[in-house]
Amino acid sequence: MGRFGLWQAGQMLLGLFGAVLLAAAVGAYGHDGAGSFLSVVMARLVAMGHGDFGISVLAGTPAWNQLAARLPATLSLAGTGALVAFIIGGPLGLVLGAGRWLRAAAPLIQIVAALPVFCASLLLVWLAAIVFHWPHPPYTDASLLSALLHQDTKALSDILWAYALPALTVGAAGAAAVQLALRRAAAEAMDAPYRKGLRLLGLPALEIDRLYLAPQILAGLLAHLGEIVLALLSATAIVEWVFDWPGAAVLFVKAAALHDWPVAALVLLVFAAIKLVADFAGAVGARALAGESAAP
Amino acid sequence: MSATGKTYGKISGEAVPLERATRLRAAIRAAGLIGLALIAVIVGFADAIARAPADAALVGQPLMAPSIAFPFGTDVLGRDVLSETLHALSVTISEAALAMIIAILVGGLFGFVATRLPWRSGYVMRWAAGIFASVPSLLLAILLVGLSDRSFAPIAAGLAAAPFAFCRAFDRARALARSQHAEYARASGIPAMMLLRRDLAYEFRDMFIGVAARALAAVTITLSTLSFLGFGAVPPRRDLGLMIAASRSVYLEAWWTAAFPALVLLLIILCARLAAALEEGERP
Repeated sequence: MGRFGLWQAGQMLLGLFGAVLLAAAVGAYGHDGAGSFLSVVMARLVAMGHGDFGISVLAGTPAWNQLAARLPATLSLAGTGALVAFIIGGPLGLVLGAGRWLRAAAPLIQIVAALPVFCASLLLVWLAAIVFHWPHPPYTDASLLSALLHQDTKALSDILWAYALPALTVGAAGAAAVQLALRRAAAEAMDAPYRKGLRLLGLPALEIDRLYLAPQILAGLLAHLGEIVLALLSATAIVEWVFDWPGAAVLFVKAAALHDWPVAALVLLVFAAIKLVADFAGAVGARALAGESAAP
Repeated sequence: MSATGKTYGKISGEAVPLERATRLRAAIRAAGLIGLALIAVIVGFADAIARAPADAALVGQPLMAPSIAFPFGTDVLGRDVLSETLHALSVTISEAALAMIIAILVGGLFGFVATRLPWRSGYVMRWAAGIFASVPSLLLAILLVGLSDRSFAPIAAGLAAAPFAFCRAFDRARALARSQHAEYARASGIPAMMLLRRDLAYEFRDMFIGVAARALAAVTITLSTLSFLGFGAVPPRRDLGLMIAASRSVYLEAWWTAAFPALVLLLIILCARLAAALEEGERP
């Protein structure tokens, strides 16, 4: 496990270094200073090493400040979406992992998976407004924790309602990845020969599933954590645009449109870093779980 | 292999006789390919089928609901939504085809060949592709359009889909290069280039349709989303994504302005997914 963890950490650091190189190259694009592009990239690399991510061309403030103001909105949306994804995708993956149910649900899942996120967002807005007569409220930056502490039911309902449709859209995109990872892991673990062997040794089925099968399935899910996070981030980027959510992805879209490269580079770096860290955490977690539950 | 000697395969996780599993998978793939072929035929005759030329305003009253005269209704400028959808389908398919070719060449083909490059340079490329694949492909495409121009969108979509395709092709080629037949070929003195040509020929025969359909699904999603966000097609040459974006201000009252282009878009992606034999929920 130690060597595996070190190997994975090395892979992650190498990936992060690559992401920093990419961000430095993007940040250096369109520079009007002296020197070649390569020298500007090197200068950007050195500056980034000192925590200087450049100045926003449009706002004239540090790019990091721009991102720091927007990132919490993105993370909270992606986090709520992840919660929805696991609530929908978790049971779905386990039920469908058995096989027979999937045969019936497969066409529906294929259609849902083929629907682009922006179409799904518009469909949800339409359903909410026309069918359920619940117009989507604008984004609110009120704190959920503060609303809970002050028992402010009005603020609480505003926050929850503002999150409902965006989180459902992001969650639906993530749920597809979650159910696939779980389904594959469940199908593989249920076919493992040790299950039959342990039954023959007299262990109850529930005990086998709890001690051996559940960790294997969870490990399978963790092994795909990076893919799930990428699916959530991709969906968040579109959902922010559709729902006027003031997050980092909208900042990126505007920065790319208006050639504010230091800001665009920083958003790219942060998104890549989140995915790479998720890859690392997933791989190490999966190894830890699968190792502990290794079949006799 | 079961105790009775029967070989088993899997359909959606369930163990079924191998022959049945293979037949069902082939049928699903064939359904996807037939769907894509039908779409190609419609694209070929789009100008003839469409009753109005592209972007022709005031063909009917603005925002008319679907009727016999206008089966898909009309939009806010009185354009026939059916004709506009057909023209937009042509634009989407032609741009997606270009993006797909780029994704296959830069991602699939180059990823396959990169495994056999000298001095392990392919591994450096695999690392670089892994970095790009860590970023949502939509953001990568937006970045490329931002660095160039909106007319560059099909190339940007192809290049954005390429890193993931590169990683998949590279990993597959690496497994092939380490396989028994490769070991045997090397031991027999067969040149590396001949082995690569042989592997490429078999890869093309067995995997091309799957790889191409997968790339088509991926680039269609990216391209339409780019247009929806204002980074893709430039009016008056509208694709399906731009049609849906243009209907945003009225679609709550006039659902048909967004629903029909979205359905057609869904159909393209669904057929491509089926043709690629993607699992339910699998990323293209």
